[in-house]
Amino acid sequence: MSGDAPRAAPGRWELPALRLWHAALAGGFLVAWLTADEDTYRMHVFAGYWVLIAVSLRLGLAAMGTPRGPLALVRPGRSRLMIWMGGVLMTMVGLAALSGVIADGVTSVEDLHEGLSNTALWLIPAHAALVAWVFQGKRLRDKVMGAARVSALPVLVLLGLAAAVPAQAADPARDAILADYAKAAKAADSGFTGFSAARGESIYRARNTVNADFPSCATCHTDDPTRPGRHAKTGREIAPAAVSANPKRFTDAEKVEERFNRDCKTVLGRECSARDRGDFITFLSSK
Amino acid sequence: MRSIVMGAGLLLSLSTPAWADRVAPLTDPVTLKACGECHMAFQPDFLPARSWARMMDSLDNHFGESAAMAPDKVAHIRKVLEDGAADRVGGKVAGRFLRWVAPDGTPQRITENPAFLRKHDFPAREWARADVKSKSNCPACHKRAERGDYEED
Ligand code: HEC
Ligand code: HEC
Ligand code: HEC
Repeated sequence: MSGDAPRAAPGRWELPALRLWHAALAGGFLVAWLTADEDTYRMHVFAGYWVLIAVSLRLGLAAMGTPRGPLALVRPGRSRLMIWMGGVLMTMVGLAALSGVIADGVTSVEDLHEGLSNTALWLIPAHAALVAWVFQGKRLRDKVMGAARVSALPVLVLLGLAAAVPAQAADPARDAILADYAKAAKAADSGFTGFSAARGESIYRARNTVNADFPSCATCHTDDPTRPGRHAKTGREIAPAAVSANPKRFTDAEKVEERFNRDCKTVLGRECSARDRGDFITFLSSK
Repeated sequence: MRSIVMGAGLLLSLSTPAWADRVAPLTDPVTLKACGECHMAFQPDFLPARSWARMMDSLDNHFGESAAMAPDKVAHIRKVLEDGAADRVGGKVAGRFLRWVAPDGTPQRITENPAFLRKHDFPAREWARADVKSKSNCPACHKRAERGDYEED
Protein backbone atom coordinates (compact mmCIF):
# COMPACT_ATOMS: atom_id res chain seq x y z
CA MET A 1 0.00 0.00 0.00
CA SER A 2 1.43 3.40 -0.96
CA GLY A 3 1.58 6.23 1.54
CA ASP A 4 -1.08 8.30 -0.29
CA ALA A 5 -3.70 5.62 -0.63
CA PRO A 6 -6.76 6.17 1.55
CA ARG A 7 -6.38 4.40 4.86
CA ALA A 8 -8.20 1.16 5.27
CA ALA A 9 -10.56 1.65 8.20
CA PRO A 10 -9.17 -0.17 11.22
CA GLY A 11 -11.28 -3.01 12.53
CA ARG A 12 -13.46 -2.08 15.48
CA TRP A 13 -11.76 -4.68 17.59
CA GLU A 14 -8.35 -3.13 17.25
CA LEU A 15 -8.47 -0.35 19.83
CA PRO A 16 -10.06 -2.53 22.55
CA ALA A 17 -7.50 -5.23 21.73
CA LEU A 18 -4.69 -2.73 22.19
CA ARG A 19 -6.11 -1.59 25.53
CA LEU A 20 -6.61 -5.11 26.73
CA TRP A 21 -3.07 -5.97 25.76
CA HIS A 22 -1.80 -2.88 27.57
CA ALA A 23 -3.72 -3.82 30.71
CA ALA A 24 -2.38 -7.38 30.54
CA LEU A 25 1.22 -6.22 30.17
CA ALA A 26 0.95 -3.55 32.88
CA GLY A 27 -0.92 -5.92 35.19
CA GLY A 28 1.62 -8.70 34.64
CA PHE A 29 4.51 -6.38 35.35
CA LEU A 30 2.76 -5.05 38.47
CA VAL A 31 2.19 -8.57 39.79
CA ALA A 32 5.80 -9.52 39.00
CA TRP A 33 7.01 -6.45 40.88
CA LEU A 34 4.76 -7.08 43.90
CA THR A 35 5.79 -10.74 44.14
CA ALA A 36 9.54 -10.32 43.59
CA ASP A 37 10.19 -12.04 46.90
CA GLU A 38 11.47 -15.47 47.80
CA ASP A 39 8.21 -16.61 49.35
CA THR A 40 5.99 -15.58 46.45
CA TYR A 41 8.44 -16.93 43.92
CA ARG A 42 5.99 -19.13 42.02
CA MET A 43 3.66 -16.22 41.33
CA HIS A 44 6.62 -14.08 40.33
CA VAL A 45 7.74 -16.64 37.77
CA PHE A 46 4.19 -16.97 36.46
CA ALA A 47 3.89 -13.18 36.06
CA GLY A 48 7.29 -13.09 34.37
CA TYR A 49 6.20 -15.58 31.71
CA TRP A 50 2.96 -13.65 31.37
CA VAL A 51 4.90 -10.46 30.62
CA LEU A 52 7.17 -12.26 28.17
CA ILE A 53 4.17 -13.69 26.32
CA ALA A 54 2.46 -10.28 26.30
CA VAL A 55 5.51 -8.66 24.73
CA SER A 56 5.71 -11.28 21.99
CA LEU A 57 1.95 -11.08 21.49
CA ARG A 58 2.32 -7.39 20.70
CA LEU A 59 4.32 -8.23 17.60
CA GLY A 60 1.68 -10.72 16.52
CA LEU A 61 -1.06 -8.14 17.05
CA ALA A 62 0.85 -5.61 14.96
CA ALA A 63 0.94 -8.13 12.13
CA MET A 64 -2.79 -8.83 12.42
CA GLY A 65 -3.98 -5.22 12.69
CA THR A 66 -4.63 -2.78 9.86
CA PRO A 67 -1.40 -1.19 8.61
CA ARG A 68 -1.16 2.25 10.26
CA GLY A 69 -4.10 1.38 12.50
CA PRO A 70 -4.08 1.41 16.32
CA LEU A 71 -2.09 -1.83 16.45
CA ALA A 72 0.70 -0.70 14.15
CA LEU A 73 4.01 -0.34 15.97
CA VAL A 74 4.75 2.96 14.22
CA ARG A 75 1.59 4.98 13.83
CA PRO A 76 1.59 7.93 11.48
CA GLY A 77 0.91 11.23 13.21
CA ARG A 78 2.09 10.00 16.57
CA SER A 79 4.99 11.82 18.20
CA ARG A 80 8.35 10.21 17.41
CA LEU A 81 9.27 10.44 21.05
CA MET A 82 6.31 8.34 22.08
CA ILE A 83 7.05 5.71 19.52
CA TRP A 84 10.62 5.47 20.74
CA MET A 85 9.55 5.46 24.34
CA GLY A 86 7.11 2.64 23.69
CA GLY A 87 9.74 0.63 21.84
CA VAL A 88 12.42 1.12 24.49
CA LEU A 89 10.02 0.35 27.33
CA MET A 90 8.75 -2.80 25.68
CA THR A 91 12.28 -3.97 24.90
CA MET A 92 13.40 -3.37 28.49
CA VAL A 93 10.36 -5.09 29.95
CA GLY A 94 10.87 -7.99 27.55
CA LEU A 95 14.58 -8.25 28.41
CA ALA A 96 13.79 -8.08 32.12
CA ALA A 97 11.36 -10.99 31.74
CA LEU A 98 13.73 -12.97 29.53
CA SER A 99 16.66 -12.52 31.90
CA GLY A 100 14.35 -13.67 34.69
CA VAL A 101 13.60 -16.87 32.82
CA ILE A 102 17.34 -17.44 32.43
CA ALA A 103 18.10 -16.50 36.05
CA ASP A 104 15.64 -19.16 37.15
CA GLY A 105 18.21 -21.71 35.98
CA VAL A 106 21.49 -19.79 36.08
CA THR A 107 21.76 -17.92 39.36
CA SER A 108 24.65 -15.75 38.18
CA VAL A 109 22.18 -13.93 35.91
CA GLU A 110 20.18 -12.77 38.95
CA ASP A 111 21.97 -9.45 39.27
CA LEU A 112 21.47 -8.69 35.58
CA HIS A 113 17.78 -9.53 35.93
CA GLU A 114 17.46 -7.22 38.90
CA GLY A 115 19.21 -4.40 37.05
CA LEU A 116 17.07 -4.76 33.92
CA SER A 117 13.88 -4.96 35.97
CA ASN A 118 14.77 -1.83 37.91
CA THR A 119 15.52 0.02 34.69
CA ALA A 120 12.18 -1.07 33.24
CA LEU A 121 10.50 0.03 36.47
CA TRP A 122 11.96 3.52 36.14
CA LEU A 123 10.91 3.77 32.51
CA ILE A 124 7.26 3.30 33.44
CA PRO A 125 6.72 6.66 35.18
CA ALA A 126 8.71 8.25 32.34
CA HIS A 127 6.37 6.60 29.84
CA ALA A 128 3.30 7.73 31.82
CA ALA A 129 4.65 11.28 32.09
CA LEU A 130 5.26 11.39 28.38
CA VAL A 131 1.77 10.14 27.60
CA ALA A 132 0.33 12.74 29.95
CA TRP A 133 2.38 15.44 28.27
CA VAL A 134 1.31 14.40 24.77
CA PHE A 135 -2.37 13.94 25.51
CA GLN A 136 -2.78 16.83 27.91
CA GLY A 137 -5.96 17.95 29.57
CA LYS A 138 -9.33 16.58 28.64
CA ARG A 139 -8.11 14.06 26.12
CA LEU A 140 -6.00 12.51 28.82
CA ARG A 141 -8.91 12.32 31.25
CA ASP A 142 -11.13 10.80 28.59
CA LYS A 143 -8.47 8.29 27.74
CA VAL A 144 -7.78 7.38 31.34
CA MET A 145 -11.45 6.92 32.16
CA GLY A 146 -12.05 4.94 28.97
CA ALA A 147 -9.02 2.79 29.54
CA ALA A 148 -9.96 2.28 33.16
CA ARG A 149 -13.32 0.88 32.12
CA VAL A 150 -11.80 -1.46 29.57
CA SER A 151 -8.85 -2.53 31.70
CA ALA A 152 -10.74 -2.91 34.95
CA LEU A 153 -11.83 -6.43 34.10
CA PRO A 154 -8.48 -7.97 33.09
CA VAL A 155 -6.73 -6.18 35.95
CA LEU A 156 -9.28 -7.49 38.41
CA VAL A 157 -8.92 -10.99 37.00
CA LEU A 158 -5.15 -10.71 37.37
CA LEU A 159 -5.32 -9.43 40.92
CA GLY A 160 -7.78 -12.20 41.70
CA LEU A 161 -5.28 -14.71 40.36
CA ALA A 162 -2.54 -13.16 42.46
CA ALA A 163 -4.69 -13.47 45.56
CA ALA A 164 -5.86 -16.97 44.72
CA VAL A 165 -2.43 -18.58 44.42
CA PRO A 166 -1.22 -18.04 47.99
CA ALA A 167 -4.74 -18.72 49.28
CA GLN A 168 -4.89 -22.20 47.79
CA ALA A 169 -4.42 -23.84 51.18
CA ALA A 170 -5.41 -27.30 50.03
CA ASP A 171 -2.64 -29.11 48.20
CA PRO A 172 -2.97 -32.71 47.08
CA ALA A 173 0.57 -33.57 48.20
CA ARG A 174 -0.08 -32.18 51.69
CA ASP A 175 -3.42 -33.96 51.89
CA ALA A 176 -1.73 -37.24 50.97
CA ILE A 177 0.92 -36.73 53.68
CA LEU A 178 -1.80 -36.04 56.25
CA ALA A 179 -3.80 -39.07 55.10
CA ASP A 180 -0.73 -41.29 55.61
CA TYR A 181 -0.22 -39.93 59.12
CA ALA A 182 -3.92 -40.46 59.87
CA LYS A 183 -3.65 -44.09 58.79
CA ALA A 184 -0.57 -44.61 60.97
CA ALA A 185 -2.19 -42.83 63.92
CA LYS A 186 -5.25 -45.03 63.61
CA ALA A 187 -3.09 -48.14 63.49
CA ALA A 188 -1.29 -47.06 66.69
CA ASP A 189 -4.48 -46.15 68.55
CA SER A 190 -7.90 -47.36 67.46
CA GLY A 191 -9.49 -44.52 69.45
CA PHE A 192 -7.93 -41.92 67.11
CA THR A 193 -10.63 -39.60 65.78
CA GLY A 194 -8.70 -36.96 63.86
CA PHE A 195 -5.95 -34.38 64.14
CA SER A 196 -6.20 -31.35 66.37
CA ALA A 197 -4.78 -27.92 65.63
CA ALA A 198 -4.86 -27.17 69.38
CA ARG A 199 -2.62 -30.15 70.20
CA GLY A 200 -0.37 -29.12 67.30
CA GLU A 201 -0.09 -25.62 68.68
CA SER A 202 0.97 -26.90 72.08
CA ILE A 203 3.76 -28.98 70.46
CA TYR A 204 4.80 -25.88 68.53
CA ARG A 205 4.89 -23.55 71.55
CA ALA A 206 5.90 -25.87 74.42
CA ARG A 207 9.11 -24.92 76.24
CA ASN A 208 11.26 -28.01 76.64
CA THR A 209 14.39 -28.66 78.68
CA VAL A 210 16.22 -31.22 76.53
CA ASN A 211 18.30 -28.73 74.59
CA ALA A 212 19.20 -25.39 76.12
CA ASP A 213 19.97 -23.90 72.71
CA PHE A 214 16.62 -24.82 71.20
CA PRO A 215 13.95 -25.00 73.93
CA SER A 216 11.02 -24.84 71.50
CA CYS A 217 9.97 -25.30 67.88
CA ALA A 218 9.22 -21.58 68.00
CA THR A 219 12.88 -20.87 68.82
CA CYS A 220 13.70 -21.23 65.12
CA HIS A 221 10.26 -21.11 63.50
CA THR A 222 9.36 -17.99 65.60
CA ASP A 223 6.39 -17.27 67.84
CA ASP A 224 4.43 -16.04 64.85
CA PRO A 225 4.67 -18.83 62.27
CA THR A 226 3.48 -16.55 59.47
CA ARG A 227 6.77 -14.65 59.78
CA PRO A 228 10.16 -15.83 58.54
CA GLY A 229 12.12 -17.67 61.20
CA ARG A 230 15.81 -17.80 61.87
CA HIS A 231 18.00 -20.72 62.86
CA ALA A 232 18.86 -19.82 66.45
CA LYS A 233 22.48 -20.92 66.15
CA THR A 234 23.56 -20.31 62.57
CA GLY A 235 21.45 -17.21 61.85
CA ARG A 236 20.21 -18.73 58.57
CA GLU A 237 16.79 -17.40 57.62
CA ILE A 238 13.99 -19.98 57.54
CA ALA A 239 10.90 -19.45 55.37
CA PRO A 240 7.63 -19.02 57.34
CA ALA A 241 6.26 -22.26 58.80
CA ALA A 242 2.59 -21.39 58.27
CA VAL A 243 0.98 -22.66 55.09
CA SER A 244 -0.87 -19.37 54.54
CA ALA A 245 2.45 -17.54 54.30
CA ASN A 246 4.33 -20.32 52.52
CA PRO A 247 2.17 -22.55 50.31
CA LYS A 248 5.06 -24.98 49.70
CA ARG A 249 5.02 -26.11 53.32
CA PHE A 250 4.53 -29.82 54.04
CA THR A 251 4.25 -30.83 50.40
CA ASP A 252 7.49 -32.84 50.04
CA ALA A 253 6.95 -36.07 51.98
CA GLU A 254 10.64 -36.93 52.21
CA LYS A 255 11.56 -33.52 53.58
CA VAL A 256 8.66 -33.51 56.05
CA GLU A 257 9.70 -36.91 57.46
CA GLU A 258 13.37 -35.97 57.57
CA ARG A 259 12.73 -32.71 59.42
CA PHE A 260 10.31 -34.26 61.92
CA ASN A 261 12.85 -36.99 62.62
CA ARG A 262 15.50 -34.38 63.29
CA ASP A 263 13.75 -31.44 64.85
CA CYS A 264 11.75 -33.58 67.30
CA LYS A 265 14.93 -35.36 68.39
CA THR A 266 16.81 -32.07 68.76
CA VAL A 267 14.08 -30.15 70.61
CA LEU A 268 12.00 -32.82 72.37
CA GLY A 269 14.66 -35.52 72.73
CA ARG A 270 12.19 -38.06 71.31
CA GLU A 271 10.47 -39.11 68.13
CA CYS A 272 7.23 -37.39 67.20
CA SER A 273 4.41 -39.90 66.73
CA ALA A 274 2.28 -39.95 63.58
CA ARG A 275 -0.44 -38.18 65.55
CA ASP A 276 2.02 -35.46 66.70
CA ARG A 277 3.08 -34.94 63.10
CA GLY A 278 -0.47 -34.68 61.81
CA ASP A 279 -1.42 -32.31 64.64
CA PHE A 280 1.59 -30.10 63.93
CA ILE A 281 0.77 -29.86 60.20
CA THR A 282 -2.91 -29.27 60.97
CA PHE A 283 -1.99 -26.39 63.29
CA LEU A 284 0.26 -24.74 60.72
CA SER A 285 -2.26 -25.25 57.94
CA SER A 286 -4.82 -23.39 60.03
CA LYS A 287 -2.53 -20.40 60.56
CA MET B 1 17.02 -22.68 24.31
CA ARG B 2 19.47 -24.56 26.48
CA SER B 3 22.41 -23.39 24.43
CA ILE B 4 21.28 -19.78 24.65
CA VAL B 5 21.08 -20.10 28.41
CA MET B 6 24.49 -21.71 28.60
CA GLY B 7 25.97 -19.11 26.27
CA ALA B 8 24.59 -16.26 28.33
CA GLY B 9 25.84 -17.92 31.51
CA LEU B 10 29.29 -18.37 30.04
CA LEU B 11 29.50 -14.75 28.88
CA LEU B 12 28.43 -13.60 32.31
CA SER B 13 30.91 -15.72 34.19
CA LEU B 14 33.66 -14.47 31.92
CA SER B 15 32.74 -10.89 32.64
CA THR B 16 32.83 -11.28 36.43
CA PRO B 17 35.95 -9.85 38.04
CA ALA B 18 38.91 -11.46 39.77
CA TRP B 19 39.04 -15.13 40.61
CA ALA B 20 41.42 -14.58 43.48
CA ASP B 21 39.23 -15.43 46.47
CA ARG B 22 36.86 -17.78 44.82
CA VAL B 23 36.22 -21.44 45.16
CA ALA B 24 34.20 -23.44 42.66
CA PRO B 25 30.51 -23.04 43.47
CA LEU B 26 28.76 -26.11 44.82
CA THR B 27 26.32 -27.24 42.12
CA ASP B 28 25.09 -30.67 43.14
CA PRO B 29 21.37 -30.13 43.81
CA VAL B 30 21.06 -32.89 46.44
CA THR B 31 23.93 -31.49 48.48
CA LEU B 32 22.76 -27.91 48.06
CA LYS B 33 19.35 -28.80 49.40
CA ALA B 34 20.36 -31.18 52.18
CA CYS B 35 23.28 -29.13 53.52
CA GLY B 36 21.77 -25.70 52.82
CA GLU B 37 18.77 -25.79 55.13
CA CYS B 38 20.30 -24.91 58.46
CA HIS B 39 23.24 -22.87 57.17
CA MET B 40 24.61 -22.15 53.73
CA ALA B 41 25.89 -25.25 51.92
CA PHE B 42 29.64 -24.77 52.45
CA GLN B 43 31.89 -25.54 49.50
CA PRO B 44 33.97 -28.66 50.08
CA ASP B 45 37.23 -26.74 49.39
CA PHE B 46 37.60 -25.69 53.01
CA LEU B 47 38.17 -29.13 54.54
CA PRO B 48 40.09 -32.27 53.51
CA ALA B 49 38.22 -35.37 52.31
CA ARG B 50 38.79 -37.25 55.58
CA SER B 51 37.03 -34.45 57.50
CA TRP B 52 33.97 -34.69 55.27
CA ALA B 53 33.96 -38.47 55.63
CA ARG B 54 33.94 -38.16 59.40
CA MET B 55 31.17 -35.55 59.28
CA MET B 56 28.99 -37.69 57.02
CA ASP B 57 29.42 -40.60 59.46
CA SER B 58 28.17 -38.58 62.41
CA LEU B 59 25.18 -36.62 61.15
CA ASP B 60 23.11 -37.89 64.10
CA ASN B 61 24.98 -35.46 66.24
CA HIS B 62 26.03 -32.63 64.00
CA PHE B 63 27.21 -29.73 66.16
CA GLY B 64 24.55 -30.52 68.79
CA GLU B 65 21.77 -31.04 66.26
CA SER B 66 20.49 -34.02 64.38
CA ALA B 67 21.14 -33.72 60.65
CA ALA B 68 20.35 -37.38 60.01
CA MET B 69 19.14 -38.31 56.52
CA ALA B 70 18.51 -41.37 54.37
CA PRO B 71 21.64 -43.57 53.85
CA ASP B 72 21.60 -43.29 50.05
CA LYS B 73 21.57 -39.51 50.35
CA VAL B 74 24.45 -39.62 52.83
CA ALA B 75 26.47 -41.73 50.39
CA HIS B 76 25.76 -39.40 47.49
CA ILE B 77 26.70 -36.26 49.41
CA ARG B 78 29.79 -37.87 50.90
CA LYS B 79 31.08 -38.51 47.38
CA VAL B 80 30.35 -34.94 46.23
CA LEU B 81 32.15 -33.49 49.25
CA GLU B 82 35.12 -35.86 49.05
CA ASP B 83 35.57 -35.20 45.32
CA GLY B 84 35.61 -31.45 45.90
CA ALA B 85 37.68 -31.51 49.10
CA ALA B 86 40.70 -29.29 49.70
CA ASP B 87 43.20 -32.13 49.30
CA ARG B 88 41.54 -33.36 46.06
CA VAL B 89 41.01 -30.16 44.06
CA GLY B 90 43.82 -27.91 45.24
CA GLY B 91 43.56 -24.21 44.42
CA LYS B 92 44.60 -21.09 46.25
CA VAL B 93 41.95 -20.97 48.95
CA ALA B 94 42.05 -24.73 49.55
CA GLY B 95 45.84 -24.63 49.85
CA ARG B 96 45.68 -21.81 52.37
CA PHE B 97 43.31 -23.80 54.58
CA LEU B 98 45.03 -27.16 54.16
CA ARG B 99 48.38 -25.81 55.33
CA TRP B 100 47.06 -25.70 58.88
CA VAL B 101 45.63 -29.20 59.00
CA ALA B 102 47.75 -32.02 60.50
CA PRO B 103 48.39 -34.90 58.04
CA ASP B 104 45.89 -37.17 59.80
CA GLY B 105 43.74 -34.43 61.35
CA THR B 106 39.99 -34.42 60.71
CA PRO B 107 38.87 -30.91 61.70
CA GLN B 108 35.10 -30.38 61.52
CA ARG B 109 35.02 -26.61 61.62
CA ILE B 110 36.04 -24.24 58.86
CA THR B 111 35.77 -21.35 61.28
CA GLU B 112 38.49 -22.67 63.62
CA ASN B 113 41.14 -22.99 60.93
CA PRO B 114 43.88 -20.38 61.45
CA ALA B 115 43.53 -19.42 57.77
CA PHE B 116 39.98 -18.39 58.59
CA LEU B 117 40.81 -16.79 61.94
CA ARG B 118 43.56 -14.62 60.49
CA LYS B 119 41.23 -13.10 57.92
CA HIS B 120 38.39 -12.76 60.42
CA ASP B 121 40.03 -11.18 63.42
CA PHE B 122 37.09 -8.92 64.27
CA PRO B 123 35.98 -7.50 67.63
CA ALA B 124 33.27 -9.48 69.46
CA ARG B 125 30.58 -6.92 68.69
CA GLU B 126 30.98 -7.61 64.97
CA TRP B 127 30.17 -11.31 65.51
CA ALA B 128 27.29 -10.38 67.80
CA ARG B 129 25.47 -8.41 65.09
CA ALA B 130 21.88 -9.68 64.90
CA ASP B 131 22.20 -10.49 61.21
CA VAL B 132 25.47 -12.39 61.69
CA LYS B 133 24.89 -14.42 64.83
CA SER B 134 27.54 -17.02 64.03
CA LYS B 135 30.91 -17.25 62.31
CA SER B 136 29.44 -19.94 60.10
CA ASN B 137 26.94 -17.47 58.63
CA CYS B 138 29.22 -16.61 55.68
CA PRO B 139 26.51 -15.02 53.49
CA ALA B 140 25.77 -12.41 56.16
CA CYS B 141 29.06 -10.73 55.18
CA HIS B 142 29.93 -12.33 51.84
CA LYS B 143 26.82 -11.67 49.75
CA ARG B 144 28.01 -14.00 46.99
CA ALA B 145 29.35 -16.73 49.27
CA GLU B 146 26.94 -19.33 47.93
CA ARG B 147 28.47 -18.80 44.50
CA GLY B 148 31.92 -19.39 45.93
CA ASP B 149 32.89 -15.72 45.90
CA TYR B 150 34.50 -14.47 49.11
CA GLU B 151 35.73 -11.15 47.82
CA GLU B 152 35.39 -8.43 50.39
CA ASP B 153 32.02 -6.69 50.04
C1 HEC C 1 17.33 -25.34 65.29
C2 HEC C 1 16.28 -24.67 64.58
C3 HEC C 1 14.94 -25.42 64.44
C4 HEC C 1 14.11 -25.83 65.46
C5 HEC C 1 14.31 -25.62 66.95
C6 HEC C 1 12.99 -26.49 64.84
N1 HEC C 1 13.15 -26.48 63.48
FE1 HEC C 1 11.90 -27.31 62.11
N2 HEC C 1 13.07 -26.61 60.60
C7 HEC C 1 14.26 -25.95 60.75
C8 HEC C 1 14.86 -25.70 59.46
C9 HEC C 1 16.20 -25.00 59.20
C10 HEC C 1 13.98 -26.26 58.51
C11 HEC C 1 14.19 -26.36 57.00
C12 HEC C 1 14.10 -25.06 56.31
C13 HEC C 1 12.77 -24.82 55.70
O1 HEC C 1 11.99 -25.77 55.53
O2 HEC C 1 12.49 -23.67 55.40
C14 HEC C 1 12.86 -26.81 59.27
C15 HEC C 1 11.77 -27.44 58.69
C16 HEC C 1 10.83 -28.15 59.40
C17 HEC C 1 9.82 -28.99 58.79
C18 HEC C 1 9.63 -29.23 57.30
C19 HEC C 1 8.56 -28.35 56.77
C20 HEC C 1 8.29 -28.59 55.32
O3 HEC C 1 7.84 -27.64 54.66
O4 HEC C 1 8.50 -29.69 54.82
C21 HEC C 1 9.11 -29.56 59.82
C22 HEC C 1 7.98 -30.56 59.68
C23 HEC C 1 9.65 -29.04 61.05
N3 HEC C 1 10.69 -28.19 60.77
C24 HEC C 1 9.17 -29.38 62.31
C25 HEC C 1 9.69 -28.88 63.49
C26 HEC C 1 9.17 -29.24 64.80
C27 HEC C 1 8.02 -30.18 65.07
C28 HEC C 1 9.94 -28.57 65.71
C29 HEC C 1 9.84 -28.60 67.22
C30 HEC C 1 9.77 -29.92 67.82
C31 HEC C 1 10.95 -27.82 64.96
N4 HEC C 1 10.75 -28.04 63.63
C32 HEC C 1 11.95 -27.07 65.54
C33 HEC C 1 14.84 -25.56 61.93
C34 HEC C 1 14.33 -25.81 63.19
C1 HEC D 1 19.65 -29.79 61.00
C2 HEC D 1 20.45 -28.65 60.68
C3 HEC D 1 21.73 -28.90 59.88
C4 HEC D 1 21.88 -29.57 58.70
C5 HEC D 1 20.80 -30.26 57.87
C6 HEC D 1 23.28 -29.49 58.35
N1 HEC D 1 23.96 -28.77 59.30
FE1 HEC D 1 25.93 -28.34 59.27
N2 HEC D 1 25.72 -27.32 61.04
C7 HEC D 1 24.54 -27.18 61.75
C8 HEC D 1 24.80 -26.41 62.94
C9 HEC D 1 23.77 -26.04 63.99
C10 HEC D 1 26.18 -26.08 62.92
C11 HEC D 1 26.95 -25.26 63.94
C12 HEC D 1 26.92 -23.83 63.45
C13 HEC D 1 27.58 -22.85 64.36
O1 HEC D 1 28.07 -23.19 65.42
O2 HEC D 1 27.60 -21.68 63.93
C14 HEC D 1 26.72 -26.67 61.70
C15 HEC D 1 28.04 -26.53 61.30
C16 HEC D 1 28.57 -27.08 60.15
C17 HEC D 1 29.94 -26.94 59.74
C18 HEC D 1 31.01 -26.17 60.47
C19 HEC D 1 30.86 -24.67 60.25
C20 HEC D 1 31.97 -23.92 60.92
O3 HEC D 1 31.71 -23.28 61.96
O4 HEC D 1 33.09 -23.95 60.40
C21 HEC D 1 30.10 -27.62 58.58
C22 HEC D 1 31.36 -27.75 57.76
C23 HEC D 1 28.81 -28.20 58.26
N3 HEC D 1 27.90 -27.85 59.23
C24 HEC D 1 28.56 -28.99 57.16
C25 HEC D 1 27.33 -29.55 56.86
C26 HEC D 1 27.10 -30.44 55.75
C27 HEC D 1 28.15 -30.93 54.78
C28 HEC D 1 25.76 -30.75 55.78
C29 HEC D 1 25.01 -31.67 54.81
C30 HEC D 1 25.40 -33.05 54.91
C31 HEC D 1 25.17 -30.04 56.91
N4 HEC D 1 26.16 -29.34 57.53
C32 HEC D 1 23.83 -30.09 57.23
C33 HEC D 1 23.31 -27.66 61.38
C34 HEC D 1 23.05 -28.39 60.25
C1 HEC E 1 31.26 -10.96 60.24
C2 HEC E 1 31.40 -11.00 58.82
C3 HEC E 1 32.02 -12.24 58.16
C4 HEC E 1 31.58 -13.56 58.25
C5 HEC E 1 30.41 -14.09 59.05
C6 HEC E 1 32.45 -14.33 57.41
N1 HEC E 1 33.39 -13.51 56.83
FE1 HEC E 1 34.86 -14.09 55.53
N2 HEC E 1 35.62 -12.22 55.53
C7 HEC E 1 35.01 -11.11 56.11
C8 HEC E 1 35.82 -9.94 55.81
C9 HEC E 1 35.50 -8.51 56.25
C10 HEC E 1 36.92 -10.39 55.04
C11 HEC E 1 38.10 -9.58 54.48
C12 HEC E 1 39.22 -9.61 55.47
C13 HEC E 1 40.54 -9.22 54.90
O1 HEC E 1 40.68 -9.21 53.67
O2 HEC E 1 41.42 -8.94 55.67
C14 HEC E 1 36.76 -11.82 54.87
C15 HEC E 1 37.63 -12.63 54.15
C16 HEC E 1 37.38 -13.95 53.80
C17 HEC E 1 38.18 -14.77 52.93
C18 HEC E 1 39.47 -14.36 52.27
C19 HEC E 1 39.22 -13.37 51.23
C20 HEC E 1 40.43 -12.49 51.10
O3 HEC E 1 40.20 -11.33 50.76
O4 HEC E 1 41.52 -12.96 51.33
C21 HEC E 1 37.61 -15.98 52.82
C22 HEC E 1 38.06 -17.17 51.98
C23 HEC E 1 36.44 -15.95 53.67
N3 HEC E 1 36.32 -14.71 54.24
C24 HEC E 1 35.61 -17.03 53.86
C25 HEC E 1 34.56 -17.03 54.77
C26 HEC E 1 33.78 -18.22 55.06
C27 HEC E 1 33.96 -19.58 54.41
C28 HEC E 1 32.86 -17.85 56.00
C29 HEC E 1 31.80 -18.74 56.66
C30 HEC E 1 32.26 -20.01 57.18
C31 HEC E 1 33.08 -16.43 56.30
N4 HEC E 1 34.12 -15.98 55.53
C32 HEC E 1 32.34 -15.70 57.21
C33 HEC E 1 33.87 -11.10 56.88
C34 HEC E 1 33.15 -12.22 57.26
